[in-house]
Amino acid sequence: MARALKLFYMAVWRNFLVLTRYKANFLFEILTSLFIGGCMLILSAAFDTSMLGEMVGSTNYVAFMIFGISFQSWQGTALWSAADLFRGELSTGQIDYTFSCPFSRYWYIVSNIAAQAVQSTIFFVPMFCVGLWFTGETLTFPGLLLGLAATTISVAGLAQLGAIFAALVLKYRQVTAIFGFFNLAFQFLTGMFIPFQLLPAPLQALGFGLPITFGMDLLRHYVMGTRPLMVVEYEWIALFAQLVALSAAAKFFVSWLERNAKEEGLHYI
Amino acid sequence: MEKSLKPPLEREVRPLSSGGGQARSGASAITGAGSIGCAGSKGLAVMVEALHKTYSTGGKEVQALRGVSLGIGKGEVFGLLGPNGAGKTTLVKILATLLRASGGRAEVGGYDVGREADKVRRIIGYAGQDSERSAYFRLTVRENLLYFAHALRDVPVSSARERIERISSSIGFEDRLDKHFISLSGGEKQLVVVMRAIIHEPEVCFLDEPSKSLDPLTARRVRDFLKSYAREKGMTICLTTHNMREAEEFCDRIGFINHGQLRFTGTPADFKRSVTVKEVLEISSPMLDGAVEERLRSIPGVSNSASSESTVRLYCDDASKVLNEVLAVLNDFGIKAHLSMIEPSLEDAFAVFVGNDAGG
Repeated sequence: MARALKLFYMAVWRNFLVLTRYKANFLFEILTSLFIGGCMLILSAAFDTSMLGEMVGSTNYVAFMIFGISFQSWQGTALWSAADLFRGELSTGQIDYTFSCPFSRYWYIVSNIAAQAVQSTIFFVPMFCVGLWFTGETLTFPGLLLGLAATTISVAGLAQLGAIFAALVLKYRQVTAIFGFFNLAFQFLTGMFIPFQLLPAPLQALGFGLPITFGMDLLRHYVMGTRPLMVVEYEWIALFAQLVALSAAAKFFVSWLERNAKEEGLHYI
Repeated sequence: MEKSLKPPLEREVRPLSSGGGQARSGASAITGAGSIGCAGSKGLAVMVEALHKTYSTGGKEVQALRGVSLGIGKGEVFGLLGPNGAGKTTLVKILATLLRASGGRAEVGGYDVGREADKVRRIIGYAGQDSERSAYFRLTVRENLLYFAHALRDVPVSSARERIERISSSIGFEDRLDKHFISLSGGEKQLVVVMRAIIHEPEVCFLDEPSKSLDPLTARRVRDFLKSYAREKGMTICLTTHNMREAEEFCDRIGFINHGQLRFTGTPADFKRSVTVKEVLEISSPMLDGAVEERLRSIPGVSNSASSESTVRLYCDDASKVLNEVLAVLNDFGIKAHLSMIEPSLEDAFAVFVGNDAGG
């Protein structure tokens, strides 16, 4: 665990150094975050708030969308940052050096995702704050803490899927189409931008299998006062169960895919 | 550094399996148990036994290694030579736990590279081929090395900083430490990769063509440093190279690998002696071409040839016996050339070995 912590804080240190040295990109990441928050303010007038009120028990469409977008940025980090890291290392040849080093591959991936999540949080904060501002009436400090806790567990669950996708890169090299498919699926199956209750039952069944669904629902429930999809205790149990199951699956797949990838070698996409 | 090595191997290692090559005359140490250890089988840092590797590409199976057996002593500098695609990198990657072998066995520091990969990784350093892009471009050299040493190799920050200073000053690189990796030349990047391979003071270091992008002076400086560093730390080095001078000056022993088989192990001097060529006739002229070389090579008594720009080298047992024929061929083509007799170099031995293998 100490090793994983070291991998994590060194990855945070490395990421921040790299991030701040691409100054223009850094600036535009922040601007984009502020821009989306601003656009939501303008677009808020166009939403059908009564429909949302009937569905989820809140008419606050702006906050609903902002939390969805914020979640999407963390979802991207959790699912794809490690895969991107490995793709970069494959193309530069660094992967061979990395994999000649003695550490748990699983913890290396998870630590790097966590480090990237720290970085993503910088850009998430302005948007999230705009969302919070819109929830002034329903927001409480304990509610905020519980919402963030649900978000963290949900993102940790997603990071396990991210670890599997990263290991897929070792074996299959190019996974952008897989990325596109799952990214889209996750956005629509989890109620990120449209109320989950609008989905047909078979799609809802799929959505219940994804950790974002419960994480986002709990965040909105605690911060915005929306009606939860089910009893909140059940949602918490489901979140933890998903985290445990996905962690076990991720450990297995990372080890299995690394072994398989080493039949042909790691280097070169 | 963590030290928990098992006792050195004491088993008798079998000779090469049927996949191994035939011993050449004058090179009795090419195959068999005698070639496995430099001092018996004790004190081995690397032990390879009947190693096979088969790749599947496009439904076809390619045998990259065919029953390679080899031993490298502790503290030894061992060079793997061979033409492109011979299997050198495959062998090094298996030893560095980056590839899985299809058959046979390999141990590094007494640990099995397949079953005890993590223990192997604790005691090895590795610098891969074409890895001069393999660091963080926007971090400085110092930051890169600190990250790799501390995060990936568990070296305490203070030790890592001290080693970065010491190693860089030994190879005259201290003025580059605070430059971004991306701003370095190809050779300088390669130096960083070599520094990274030894920053944690490994027991066994695998270097795949370490001097590929280095200018001759820097390459020599790095070789000198690595050799003294290896002596000081008792580090074993296994490198692949196409640079014959590097092999001759740097390596205690070399192994010649071709078509996935280890054809020779011994000292560079042994390698030169092992080749059944006694004299080299070098012909220099800007008018030489493939057709001329073809005719020259067909002269009775010429066992092989090698050409580079405006030079053809003929390998023979007695140059005086082929000289008249050579002059006749040059005359036929109307070529005026400069002829000289030279001592066979390691490069010549390499060319003859490769040529003989190609000819079956």
